[in-house]
Amino acid sequence: MILSAQRLRSIGWLALLAVCGALVMILSFRVNALRSQVHRAEGQIVALKQQKMYLETEFETRANQQQLKAWNDLEFGYVAPVAGQYLENERQLAVLSKPAEPDAPAPIRVATVDDSVIAAAAFPALSGEHAGVRPLAETHEAERDGAGGDDGGAGKPRNRALDHAEATATLAEKLGTLHAPSASKAAHKRDGGDEKGEKRDKAPAKRVATVEKAKPQASRDTGAQTKAVAKSAKADKDDGKGKAKAKPAVKTAQKTAHTDRKTGVKTSR
Amino acid sequence: MNQLTASAAIATGRVQLASVRQRSLVTAKVRVLVVAVGFIFLTLTALVRLTQLGLFEQAPDRRSLAEALLPPRGEITDRNGVPLARAFPSYSLWFNPKALGEGGNPLVKTPEEVARALVQIFPDADYKDLVERLKSGRGSYLRKRVLPEEANRVFALGEPALEFPRENQRYYPQGSLAANVLGYVDEEGQGHVGMEQVLEPRLLDPAQRGTPVALSLDSRAQGALEDELLRGMQESNAKGAAGIVLDVDSGEVVALASLPSFNPNRSDRAFNDLVFNRVSNQVYELGSTFKPITIAAAIDAGVVTDLSVRYPAGPLHIAGRTIHDSHNFGASLNVPEALIHSSNIVTAQVADKLGGPLLKRTMMALHMNQRPTIELPARGFPLWPHGENAAGDWSRITTMTVSYGHGIAVTPLHLACAYAALVNGGIWRPATLYKVDPAHVPAGTRVFKASTSARIRQLLRMIVADGTGRKADASGFRVGGKTGSAEKPGNGGYRKTSLVATFAAAFPMDKPRYVVIAMLDEPQGTAATSGQRTAAWNAAPIVGRVVPRIGPLLGVVPDASRDVDISDLSPLIGSGDGE
Repeated sequence: MILSAQRLRSIGWLALLAVCGALVMILSFRVNALRSQVHRAEGQIVALKQQKMYLETEFETRANQQQLKAWNDLEFGYVAPVAGQYLENERQLAVLSKPAEPDAPAPIRVATVDDSVIAAAAFPALSGEHAGVRPLAETHEAERDGAGGDDGGAGKPRNRALDHAEATATLAEKLGTLHAPSASKAAHKRDGGDEKGEKRDKAPAKRVATVEKAKPQASRDTGAQTKAVAKSAKADKDDGKGKAKAKPAVKTAQKTAHTDRKTGVKTSR
Repeated sequence: MNQLTASAAIATGRVQLASVRQRSLVTAKVRVLVVAVGFIFLTLTALVRLTQLGLFEQAPDRRSLAEALLPPRGEITDRNGVPLARAFPSYSLWFNPKALGEGGNPLVKTPEEVARALVQIFPDADYKDLVERLKSGRGSYLRKRVLPEEANRVFALGEPALEFPRENQRYYPQGSLAANVLGYVDEEGQGHVGMEQVLEPRLLDPAQRGTPVALSLDSRAQGALEDELLRGMQESNAKGAAGIVLDVDSGEVVALASLPSFNPNRSDRAFNDLVFNRVSNQVYELGSTFKPITIAAAIDAGVVTDLSVRYPAGPLHIAGRTIHDSHNFGASLNVPEALIHSSNIVTAQVADKLGGPLLKRTMMALHMNQRPTIELPARGFPLWPHGENAAGDWSRITTMTVSYGHGIAVTPLHLACAYAALVNGGIWRPATLYKVDPAHVPAGTRVFKASTSARIRQLLRMIVADGTGRKADASGFRVGGKTGSAEKPGNGGYRKTSLVATFAAAFPMDKPRYVVIAMLDEPQGTAATSGQRTAAWNAAPIVGRVVPRIGPLLGVVPDASRDVDISDLSPLIGSGDGE
């Protein structure tokens, strides 16, 4: 049986219509299936929310104020914190971090100076290296310095000490009471760097409060500190293990103590 | 069928055989057709149904998510969202005598044994009542509210007749905390006493009940206030206690307690005398706590300009009555000393100088002549002196007695709002139990000048630092306040031994944030209060203990290096003591 072209075409159209109809039906089925799933999920949400509410209510009941009070009276005995337990700012927190050493001068507040000036000059906020956390970029820089320079791991601490000296010198200018030359002298000494390293145990490392009191003292301290670091780095190199070159500056303090044991220099930590 | 074919063939011979074959074929075709049509019909029906289901039919239950989660009664929370009252499908204990079928014994054990076991689980249950119910053979609630572990223990008794239907009830997770503020819901689902009554339409409205109502209360501060009031009440053997913590800048009530209280979870027992709210409903003569208000009015009116002026401190005879002080404080006192030692005589003289109309105007500006402004339904009407003449003017003696808090009885809430106005710069605002958006704090009305308020802050701080309020001096919180110990009126005058001891305080005095009032009703002199029954020994220590507990929670950090500057007033103070 030979079908005419027109008939074939109409059959084609019919087939296409049937296919489209089937597709539409499949789509509708899928949509409805999904809708049912959503509805089921909603049901689950309701059930879970109710369960959450039961549990929350049970928790609130068991941990109600009167119950907590009874437990506290019987078991824990917690009391409200007193005024001395609150800190107003980061400086107060920093003061708590290190006990005063025997011969350290008492902290003195300069009454006439605006606190913000001092803070900006020498006592940055408790972040970054002052909080014992170094930014990653800085650590990398320190590593580069340590590996590149002949003076080993001492490179970075020197920069830091220099910054500190500059900061205190700026402070001296701002306060108008301290002598800038002593700061530069200290910086110079630091570069020469061959003084009694053992004294560093007596030098209070970065005593926030003492810097305000006596500028020369602070400069000498940083000088001694830096020198000691340099010496320790050298000692490490002498040890024949070549550690010093690769050591990041961030570990300097730790290494100082380590070296002291080897070189027989008595250090209190 | 084969038999039929065979017999036909035999009967009609070979010719007929062909037609039989033909007919059989037709029959078979028809049958196949019928079966096919049947199948097609079934398929089509299934398809139609499938299409119908797939396209138009939805799942059987189309309740929306929001609808399913809508509670039958809205939730009430504190200012931090801690639920204070919520609808909760809790277990109840139901006795179903038909659980084991009709006839026969509904229980496995004897009713006495079951009742005994139930009493072991619920110690407050009545044994006889239980036995009666179990024997009656009628279904009834044995208990309205059962904890899950109690339900487990009852289940372990192995009695199928004891059932645990879950029923939506009002539940207060914090127990009796803030019960006087919240109120309770009875078995018919109707709110009573507190915010449950006030908010009833809102809590039941389907459009709004999905959102919790946030009150101004802070449950932690409320807990601390109730604890300390209870302790103070027990230590002084007082009949009752009331306390309030009020935000001075917005009028929000952060804590409000009236003791003894009730447990709203036992709605069957909730309605009793204890629902009475001493803070908003009971009026008291609050005594010396009124003195700072009088002094403030006098400073504000320019009557007291020089605080060093001394007034005679001997007994004052006015209109046949004598005004005394609790002690003899010497020949004369100035205003700061009068407040520190709580001298009635000097305050009365200041009020006399100020005059009745001005004092009355101040008291009216502080809303002392009307019910307290708060949402609670139970609000007491003050005993307001109506004056001796037709115009309602106060006589000299009335003015004088009102000046130190006698002859006028108000609620502790009135006093809290007045103290808020005294210390916040002079603005009176209504107290509210709703959480207030900081951007929409009511403007209030000015009662005192800001300078007067600053002066009063100094004076109140001095009373706590050097005067009768020393026991309220929580370290670092800069508390300021005034004691008041008023005798309660009885038959034929005041009763010497029945006092109302009040301490009205605010903190921190350098920038007041909260007013704290502690009041004890008829405290006794006990060993814990050194044998004293006055506010300095029982109410002030309550404030001294409450403030360190709530201060840090409410954002007031104790700081020993800050305080309100009282250096200009310190030289005016001699030494001495008083109430």
